[in-house]
Amino acid sequence: MKAEAMNKPATATKLRLTKKLKGTNDNNLAGYIFISPWLIGFLLLTAWPIIQSFYLSFTEYSLLEAPTWTGTDNYANIFTNDNDFKTSLKVTFIFVLFSVPLKLFFSLMVAMMLNKNVKGMNLYRTAIYFPSLIGGSIAVAALWRNMFNLNGYFNHVLSWFGIQGVGWITNPHTSLGTLILLNTWQFGSTMVIFLAGLKQIPGELYESASVDGASKLRKFFHITLPMLSPVMFFNLVLGIIGSFQMFTSAFIVTQGGPINSTYMYALFLYEKAFKHYQMGYASALAWILLVIVALMTAINFLVSRYWVFYETDGGKQK
Amino acid sequence: MLAATLGLSACGNGGANNGEANASNAGGNGASNAPVKLKIMWQGADIRHQAMLKTQEVYTKLNPSVTFSPEYMAWDDYWKKLPTLAASHSLPDVLHMDGAYIQEYATRGTLEDLSDIDLTGVIDDKTLENLKIGGKLYGIPISRNAQGMAFNKEALEAAGIELPKKDWTWDEYFDFARNARAKLPDGVYPISDTDTWDFYQYYQMSYGKGRIIQEDGKKFNLDKDLFMKFYGIHAEFREKKIVPPADMVSAFKENDPQADPMASGKVMTRGATVGSVGALEQLMPGKIDVVNLPVGPEGGGWAQPTIFLSVSTDAKHKDAAKAFIKWFVTDQEAGKTYGTNFGIPIYDEIYAALEPTLQPKEKLGKKLYDTSIDKAMPFSPAAAGWTEWVDNYKKTMDAVMYGQKSIEDAYNEISKSGNAIAEKQAAK
Repeated sequence: MKAEAMNKPATATKLRLTKKLKGTNDNNLAGYIFISPWLIGFLLLTAWPIIQSFYLSFTEYSLLEAPTWTGTDNYANIFTNDNDFKTSLKVTFIFVLFSVPLKLFFSLMVAMMLNKNVKGMNLYRTAIYFPSLIGGSIAVAALWRNMFNLNGYFNHVLSWFGIQGVGWITNPHTSLGTLILLNTWQFGSTMVIFLAGLKQIPGELYESASVDGASKLRKFFHITLPMLSPVMFFNLVLGIIGSFQMFTSAFIVTQGGPINSTYMYALFLYEKAFKHYQMGYASALAWILLVIVALMTAINFLVSRYWVFYETDGGKQK
Repeated sequence: MLAATLGLSACGNGGANNGEANASNAGGNGASNAPVKLKIMWQGADIRHQAMLKTQEVYTKLNPSVTFSPEYMAWDDYWKKLPTLAASHSLPDVLHMDGAYIQEYATRGTLEDLSDIDLTGVIDDKTLENLKIGGKLYGIPISRNAQGMAFNKEALEAAGIELPKKDWTWDEYFDFARNARAKLPDGVYPISDTDTWDFYQYYQMSYGKGRIIQEDGKKFNLDKDLFMKFYGIHAEFREKKIVPPADMVSAFKENDPQADPMASGKVMTRGATVGSVGALEQLMPGKIDVVNLPVGPEGGGWAQPTIFLSVSTDAKHKDAAKAFIKWFVTDQEAGKTYGTNFGIPIYDEIYAALEPTLQPKEKLGKKLYDTSIDKAMPFSPAAAGWTEWVDNYKKTMDAVMYGQKSIEDAYNEISKSGNAIAEKQAAK
């Protein structure tokens, strides 16, 4: 009896357990089936090409002939005798250094303006966000090319004031600046994220600060900025990654010129791959870019603990 | 929902098939050909696009089972797009090839051999033999082309400047520029600056020093004395404002109404070919005239077929593509439709029928061909695998143009990279 009594629940438990385990398995399978459209897409269109490009980076591959293994030759060439590599890296770093902070600053200012309680604000928001819908497209790049050309609209407007403008995109001193400006102008999505972040800041904080007699500037530096820092961090990381991969405007507006002054890394990579048919070399360049971006992001995360404030941490210093 | 959509699209397809099949019968062609949609791509200015589209319409009218899916763009965009299509094996059935690129595409195995298209009596064997690459014909030449120069006759005459004359020498060309500078208003320039390898090559070849890229890319030959002299003269011109400033030159875009060096009114001369001078004429009707490129002891410019129609190895309808190309070069009706938009039609009978109907402006191409033919040198494009060097040449000379590099440094850099590629190709 005793043994039986002991035995029975044990079997039951076992049964229940198997059932449960089986159940979880079934659930997992169903889960995988549900995400399979994405999963298959990821494995086939993202993971596999990544692995392949890693292999190709050690080969010489002209696309139309089979790749031949050359070991680390590509990497050695890139680092030792490729001036274009150095130039494009320098151009890209300058671009990132200026365009990211400018864009963050500009979109934050716009977001704060759009966060005010003014009648018809929704209309303003729509109007200001509207150009971002066509934001980074080829059409906008083509438009900028026409605007900032030597005979462009911009110089035409300047001529009303008696100023003879330069060819903004054909002058090596101003071309990169023009592209940075274009990138800053495409502030839409960054601004929307800032706006959402601003809306999350509890009004009580501002109220109590007002009661204590804090000035507007002080409120900005001691409430808005700290409360917004996670959003700022997010935008910063995305901005840096995006800027390192900047391609469209360099390709359409300036074609990397004049004399390589806007020869972005991504454009350099593209030309190696699709213009000069050096897929292996281009793959190696892509992996170097990945390492650079990963390093930059890692540094960002390391530094972030000193300035990003998460409410969930209760403000304690790590 | 999905099933419904599929069903609908299936019906749609069925309907289209029926429609085309009916049309085919109605055309009385009698051919039981399955409907074919030929993908076709070409480059050029708008005037050529219109002519090409109309030609395809005519073909579809005659062969209702064949329709076209055309794609067309300007020169620069075309050669940017083609490599990616070649890389992904999605080149169109019929594509426009140019003498400057055909070797590259042929040797990479992207083009079909078209030797089996019978063109006896249309194009003479010698011409075809000359165009073969490794014994195979990768493109059917559709026109006679030549490189010369267009100049703004109206403005030069108004300023009292002597017009360029046939077979002018390089010295006369430079003197023309110097003299015209004094007579032209500020902001208008007699000639433009140059940063591409082909224009310098005309100079080097005309002085008997041969082409720059020789032996299919295995030998490199850049003459230092001529190089220094040629770019030295341009440096002097830059200083004296005989050529436009570098940032203006970089903004030029040929055949763009506002940005074309001549149509914008900024420059009095520019290079033009038989096949492209019509587009410039359209931008400034009645104002331009043509002359051959400056000559040296060996001649100047070139005059030969450089525009081809090719069939890609990716083509889905190779036979239909070949049939279309054959019709394109041999048929009177076709020739009448595209006219002189690709240069002078290669088949003499087509041009003979065309000639009486040509307007004076259309005869400009013929005039360019006639002035160039007797002094013409061989057309000398870059060999396969040299596109990178061609790009580097331009970038290096841009740096010279913007005053950031000396001519000697430029020579050394260009030679170094040229020799490196030649060495690599010779080792293969």
